[in-house]
Amino acid sequence: MSTNQKQLLELSINGESYELAVACQETLLEVLRNRLGLTGTKEGCGTGECGSCTVLLEGEPVLACLLLALDCENKQIETIEGQSLEGRMTPVQEAFLEKGAVQCGFCTPGMVMASTALLKRNPDPNEEDIMESLEGHLCRCTGYNKIMESVQHAAKSYPEKS
Amino acid sequence: MYLPKFMIERPESPEEAATLLKVRKESRLVAGGTELFPRMKYGLCSPEFIISLKGSKISRPRVTPEGMLILDAKMSLTAINSSPEIQEKAPLLAMAAGRVATREIRNMGTLGGNLCQETRCLYFNQKHTFQFREPCFKRGGEQCYFIPKGNKCWAVFMSDLAPALFCLDASINIVGSGGVRQIEIHKLYTHDPLKPISLKADEIVTKIIIPKNEGTSGSGFAKFTMRGGMEFAGVNIGVFVETEKDLHTCKGARITVGAISGWPQRAPEAETFLEGKDLTDDIITAASRKITENMKIVPHHGYTKGYLTECLKSQAKTALTDATNAIIGAT
Repeated sequence: MSTNQKQLLELSINGESYELAVACQETLLEVLRNRLGLTGTKEGCGTGECGSCTVLLEGEPVLACLLLALDCENKQIETIEGQSLEGRMTPVQEAFLEKGAVQCGFCTPGMVMASTALLKRNPDPNEEDIMESLEGHLCRCTGYNKIMESVQHAAKSYPEKS
Repeated sequence: MYLPKFMIERPESPEEAATLLKVRKESRLVAGGTELFPRMKYGLCSPEFIISLKGSKISRPRVTPEGMLILDAKMSLTAINSSPEIQEKAPLLAMAAGRVATREIRNMGTLGGNLCQETRCLYFNQKHTFQFREPCFKRGGEQCYFIPKGNKCWAVFMSDLAPALFCLDASINIVGSGGVRQIEIHKLYTHDPLKPISLKADEIVTKIIIPKNEGTSGSGFAKFTMRGGMEFAGVNIGVFVETEKDLHTCKGARITVGAISGWPQRAPEAETFLEGKDLTDDIITAASRKITENMKIVPHHGYTKGYLTECLKSQAKTALTDATNAIIGAT
């Protein structure tokens, strides 16, 4: 069916269900930030080059700036807002804080989401695995070393390992 | 950045998609969207209709009784990189898929989309709102800013998977409103950077068919990028080498270089040179040098022709060495 009218859509974000009408050209990033107020997911370049809009779709990191909201129906979306449970940060977030991997913080939500997906996939990543997972994430402050250290540190305390 | 307005169609089969492409004149096919949507955001194209293949079923890789590997063009690059069937039957393709862009893009981008991407150029792939210059060939004008005084478009075709599939002698299945046809992969490319893909407006790539390779063979893929990740290649090369039973005499080789011109290029001189030779370090070095001979190298994205030639030589050596080692390691 083709239409330029808005379409009613049910999105499942961080375990909560949201029903809203979206236009065909609206990206998931626009819906998250402008419609639902979930501004933790950042817009950097908007063209898939910086990784700051990374969210998890069915557990895999994807770029919300290049994903149509209409394509996310019936899929589990996780954003940075869903990471902390009852006010407690996840091991990845703790590690970023502890190791000083956050300076301006703009890239951090994307970095945390990609690192979380990596540790779920591979709880014991080596340096190369971490670099492969974070190669699409630009950080202009930290020089990346602190971020690498954080992910290695988080891997040590990752729950599925114990 | 926002996408321009469009309407969306969601066909359930390739046949339906082909019909829609024919009926909806101002339409573009989208699977992963990682290549088309940035262009739309830059205002380089604004189709009235998007024919989205997302949501239609993706078949798993299938091996026929004759040993042919059949892949769905809608498979994501991550799925190709991690598929046990592809790793076993066509490791070169799995390797190449693992080197495309970033994990996020590999999760979204598809095999068919990678093969059918537009050519790119430093001038063209950006917003043109505040550029008060005459448009280039690709934007309907009559000049090339990248190669000044150029009388044609010099954009470069950046696919990493196309060189791999050239080396694997793959064929592709195309569904159009007129029916199905199968062509060899090299016929998909027109050698014209302005319209790099030979598909008709109502045709879509549905399957990739990789023939069985008999005998002992090894493959290597190398890609040169400035940063290491999240980048289109400066140059990429796929190598497929077959040896005699002694594992070091080359029986045949297929070498394809990508990202240095408007289409992937085979290196026939180097392939012939390798035939019947012992795959030693010296021969590999000589073959790497031969690969750069008669190769059309377009300076692009800030790399000079001389620099890319040297890069190609070293990447070719890496890929050929990897291929040779794979044969020895396989025994």
